[in-house]
Amino acid sequence: MKFPSSAIVVSAVALLVAPVYAHHSDAMFEREKILELTGTIEEFQFTNPHTWIQLNVLDDKGSTVEWSLEWGSPNQLGRQGVRPATFPAGEKVTIRTNPMRDGTPGGAFIGAKFSDGKTIGRWE
Amino acid sequence: MHHHLYNKKHSFLMVGVLTGILTSASLPTQAQQILPDWSGVWAMTGGTIFDAATKIGTGGATSPGVRENPPYNAEYEAKYAANLALRDKGILPDPNSLCGIPTGFPRIINLPDVYEFVARPEQVWILAENGPNIMRIYTDGREHPASADLWPTHTGDSVGHWEGDTLLFDTLSLHSSESGHTLLDRTGLILSDAAQASSRMYINADGKMEIQMTINDEKALTGPWVVTKQFNRLQAGSRVYDYACNENNRNPVDLESGWTFTIGPDGKIMDQPLAK
Repeated sequence: MKFPSSAIVVSAVALLVAPVYAHHSDAMFEREKILELTGTIEEFQFTNPHTWIQLNVLDDKGSTVEWSLEWGSPNQLGRQGVRPATFPAGEKVTIRTNPMRDGTPGGAFIGAKFSDGKTIGRWE
Repeated sequence: MHHHLYNKKHSFLMVGVLTGILTSASLPTQAQQILPDWSGVWAMTGGTIFDAATKIGTGGATSPGVRENPPYNAEYEAKYAANLALRDKGILPDPNSLCGIPTGFPRIINLPDVYEFVARPEQVWILAENGPNIMRIYTDGREHPASADLWPTHTGDSVGHWEGDTLLFDTLSLHSSESGHTLLDRTGLILSDAAQASSRMYINADGKMEIQMTINDEKALTGPWVVTKQFNRLQAGSRVYDYACNENNRNPVDLESGWTFTIGPDGKIMDQPLAK
């Protein structure tokens, strides 16, 4: 599996947190692995049935790769205070994700930390 | 003086309205039921394991090794075991993932996201944000249609009545799970087209909405299967939103392999199925 240079495998401890992927199977995600990506927000798709954070990350060759990070429904997240403006385009952010098993640039969103220290989601 | 006259006139009008209601012969008896306050927005407690009371294993409905234990006969235990094996590999196709097929009963009361429970004199509506899904329970005194006038549907046919603040209702004429119409949860629980349920729905002593179902299915079960689901009332002012499942569904399911793909930012499937 190839990861971008900014990616760090944070922990191999399995997450025993119930996934929010009520709409479909989560078999594509590697739940045992947490990957940390730093990049720039391309777009926050605040849509049903799932929200998607599109993150531009430099790979080890210096090319930009757009990652697709899947999160909960806008309905569930909206009731928890998340808004379309939570991830503004152009914002630099570090995101933790359970990556896709086959190494394609995607994953299940876990949490994010902005440059000012503010965190979103799970960031212990 | 003017104020006093206004009140007197207002009271007279109210008496007239009340008299009209009480003497109206066209309204059924149930209309005079004082309906409980089911207002607000509700969310199911626990995860989407349909029958948590008989759950074995650690994790949620998609966790390998997790299963429930309905009183299945040998034939349906084998069918459930086959679904569990697919679930363990992450390739059990779930009709809910396809967007556009109603969830059906009883899974309609086993959904994430939130609910509204609307009690009207003639009907009760279960409104699930997820889907969205609607279930209607007739409380106007009607009975189920004759068998010749029934055909299987996702939520079936439900009629009920009130006993105090408890709604009792019976549901029948449901689609078989095996025809691909529905599952009860993502472990792969199923029922046949002979499934019927008698349910009790009320706010319990803890303030939770409780729906207790007794499911009978002469093709699938060796006896009654009692399942209870509970819902918490969310804080006042909570809102319910659209659930446009096809708005941006980037996870199409390949029904042949059961694999759930992921669509990339270019609109093309980006992953390779690992299931094959």
